[in-house]
Amino acid sequence: MTQSEPVVHVLIAQAEHAAGPLAQTAAILGRLGADVQVAGVQSAAACLERVRAGGIDLVVLDLGLGSEARELLSALRGVGPPVVAVTPEPGGDVVRDAFLLGAAECVIAGPEYGRVLPVVVLEQIRRWRALLERGAVEQRLRRLEDLNDAIVRAIPAALAVLGPDARVLAVNPEFTRVFAVDAARAAGASLEEILPAGLLPRERLLGLLREATVREVELRVSTLDPGRGAAARSFDVRLARLDDDGRLLLVLWDVTEAEQLNRRLAELKRYNENIIQNMNSALLVVDREGRIAFANPTAQGILRGKLAELRGRSIWEWLSDTPRGRELLERTLREGVRFRGAETVITHPSGQVVPIGISCAPLQGANGRRIGAVAIFQDLSEIKELQRHVSQTERMASIGQLAAGVAHEINNPMGFIHANLCQMAEYLADLRRLWERVGELQTAIATGRSDQIRAQAEKLAALSAEVDSDFVFADFAKALRESQEGSERIRHIVQDLRQFSRNDSGDRVLADVRECLDTTANIVGTMMKHTVVLRKDYEELPRIRCYPMQLKQVFMNLLVNAFQAIQERVGSSGETGEIHLETRRRPGGIAVVVSDSGIGIPPENLPRIFDPFFTTKEVGIGMGLGLSTSFSIVQRHGGALRVESQPGVGSRFEVFLPLTSDDTAPQPVA
Amino acid sequence: MSTPPVAPPDSQAVQGGGVVLVVDDETRILSAVRRSLRREGYEILTAETPVEALAILEARSVDVILSDHKMPGMNGLEFLALAALRRPEAARLLITGWTAEVPARDLTALGIRALLAKPWDDAELKAAVRSALTR
Repeated sequence: MTQSEPVVHVLIAQAEHAAGPLAQTAAILGRLGADVQVAGVQSAAACLERVRAGGIDLVVLDLGLGSEARELLSALRGVGPPVVAVTPEPGGDVVRDAFLLGAAECVIAGPEYGRVLPVVVLEQIRRWRALLERGAVEQRLRRLEDLNDAIVRAIPAALAVLGPDARVLAVNPEFTRVFAVDAARAAGASLEEILPAGLLPRERLLGLLREATVREVELRVSTLDPGRGAAARSFDVRLARLDDDGRLLLVLWDVTEAEQLNRRLAELKRYNENIIQNMNSALLVVDREGRIAFANPTAQGILRGKLAELRGRSIWEWLSDTPRGRELLERTLREGVRFRGAETVITHPSGQVVPIGISCAPLQGANGRRIGAVAIFQDLSEIKELQRHVSQTERMASIGQLAAGVAHEINNPMGFIHANLCQMAEYLADLRRLWERVGELQTAIATGRSDQIRAQAEKLAALSAEVDSDFVFADFAKALRESQEGSERIRHIVQDLRQFSRNDSGDRVLADVRECLDTTANIVGTMMKHTVVLRKDYEELPRIRCYPMQLKQVFMNLLVNAFQAIQERVGSSGETGEIHLETRRRPGGIAVVVSDSGIGIPPENLPRIFDPFFTTKEVGIGMGLGLSTSFSIVQRHGGALRVESQPGVGSRFEVFLPLTSDDTAPQPVA
Repeated sequence: MSTPPVAPPDSQAVQGGGVVLVVDDETRILSAVRRSLRREGYEILTAETPVEALAILEARSVDVILSDHKMPGMNGLEFLALAALRRPEAARLLITGWTAEVPARDLTALGIRALLAKPWDDAELKAAVRSALTR
C-alpha cells in the first residue's frame, strides 16, 4: 500500500467467547499496518448497523455467530463490502454455505491462519477497490452518455446517423420535427424515403453522401423544401464519418432565420449605404485626432478628393483657418459635446473659402468609448447667395410696406406745397398789378400834377383794397414759410428712406446704435403715428463696430412687427397702442429693446418665429423672413435676439450686441 | 343735359353761396385749401379731427364736406358715413393721397360726389366744390 491509499476499515464480527486461532484475528489484522484500521462488533445486528453507517471496506465474519452469521451474509450480499468468513471448522458444508450466501472468501482457522488471513484480506481489499473504481468510471460514462443524449435531443439541428448503405439508423427529435417523420418510421428507412420526393437538392445530398464515405463534406447552404405545405427552409448540411464501420452523421442545421437576418442586414446595409452615398449632405467620420476615416461622395466633392486620397488626412487642413469650426469639432472629440447647425467655412489650399453649415456628434465604439466624431455638413454657397438675394427682396418688400405710409407722409406736404405754389402765383399776379399801379403813381409824381397824383393814388388804394394787399403780403409769406417747412419734411423722409435701399459694403464701422434706432423710428414712425404712441427711453451708449444699415433693418423689422401687432389688436377701433424703445448698457455690450402692446405671440409659435419663411401674416405682407433675417444679422454681430411675449398683452424683443475689443480701442480720426 | 351756370375760375366776384367744411389732420393742408378757395366766396370751416368735424355738424348745417381719408381714429369714409347721418343734404367729397385704397364701390354706396387726389389741382378742386354746390 502506498501513502496515497486511504486507510482501510476492517470490521470484525466475532462472538465474545471466540477461542483458538480465531481469538487472534484482531491481533493478526492489527499487524497489517497503520493503514488498516480494525474494529470489532460482537453481534450480527451490530455489524449490519455499522456497515449501513458506511465507511467499512471489509467485513471479517466469524461463522461461529451461528444463524445470525448466515443472515448477515444474506443481508450484505450484493450491497455491502466483501465479507471474509472465518471458521474453526474445516467442514465442507460450512464453507460451501458461506460461499452460497455471498461470502467473498472463506478461511479456516487452522495452523496457517495467521499467515493466510492477511493475504486473503489484502486481496479482498484490492478487489473491492478495483470494483469501486470501475463503478466510478461506468458512472462517468453513463453521465457522458446522458449528456450526449441531452445534446442530441435538445440541439436545434436535425441529426441522423446513417449506415454505410445510407439507411437511417437513428434520428433526433429535431429531425422528426423538421421532416415530419416519427423516429420509429425513420429507423431502417433509406434517406430517399424520408426526404421528400422531388426535392431538388436531394440528388446532390445523396452525391455528398457517396463522397462522405471518403471524406467529410460540408454543403454551405441548401434550400430544402420540406413539402407538405411547409415553407421552404435553408439548411447548412454537413456529413461526417462517424467510425470505421462506415456510419455517417448527417447534420442539417436550419439557418432560415439566420439567412433572413443576414439578408435583412445586407438590405439594411445597402439601404444605409444608399442614403450615405446619395445624401445631399456631406458626411464625414473622423477619429479622435481628427483624421478622416470616411467621407461620402458629397463630402468628397466639398473637400475635393476621392475617399482614398482623403482617408487619413487631418480635417484641420480644411478647418484650420476657421477657429469656430475647429473649436466646435474639437469639443466634440474631446468632451463629446454635440452641436448642430453651426456655420463656419472650409478653406481650400488654394485659399478658396466655402461656407458650410455643420453638425457634429461624438462617435462611440462598441465599449462606449469615444473613438471619434461624425460630422454632417452642407455647402451653403448657394443658400448664402439666395439668402443675400432674398434678404434684399425682403428689404424691398418692407420698403413696399413702408411706401404706403411714406407716400401719405410725402403726399400731405406735396399737397399743400402744390396748392400754395398755385396760390403764390396768384398772389404774385396781384402784387404785379399793384406794382404797375405804383409805377403809374411814380409817373404821375414825376409830372408834378397834384390831380393826377391824387387820381393815381386813389386807383392804387382801390386796387390795394381789391386785392387785399395786406392779407396777400402776410399770407404770401405764410404760404412760403409753410411750403419751405413742407419741403424740408419731404427731404427728411426721402433721406431716411434712402438709407434702406443701400447695402452695407465692406467692413464694420463705428456707429452710434441710438442714431440707427432713431433714424429707423423716424421713418417707420411716420406710417404708424395714428395708431401708435412711440415712447423713447434712451441711455447713452458707446459707439460700437457694426453694420449700421443691417442694424437699421433689424430695428425696422422689429418696429414694423410691433406696429402690425398693435394694428391687429386695435383694428379700426380708433384706439392706440404703445411702442416702447429703450437703449441700455449691459455687461459686455449694449441692448436695444422694442416692446409693444400688441396682440402678442401664442406660446406655440414662439420657438418658430425666427425660422425662415415662418409667418402668420396674410399673403403679400412680408415673406416671413423679417425675424429670421434680423436673427442672422444680430448673430453676424455676435449678439443675441431674444423674445418674450404674452398673448393679449404684448411682446418684447431685445437685441443684444457685444462690445468687441475694437470698440474700446481709441477711435480712429474720421 | 344742361350745364349748370358756373362762374369762370378767374372770377373776382365774391359769390355769396355756400358753407364748406374741410377736415384734415394736417393743419398745413387746411390752410392751403383755405387759400385755394379764398376767392370763391365760401364760408370755410376747418376741423383737424373727424370728432371735431362731427361736433361742428351737430351745431350747424354746411353745404359741402371735403374730408381727408387717412386720419387718426377713423378714416375719411367712416367719417363721411357718420356725417351723412347728421347732414344728409351736405355734398361729400373725399381727398386722398392713395386713391387706389378707396374702392369705387364704397364711394357710390356712401354717395360721395367726388374723389380728389392729393396733391390736388387747384382748378379741379374749385370746380369740384362748385359743382357740388349746384346740385
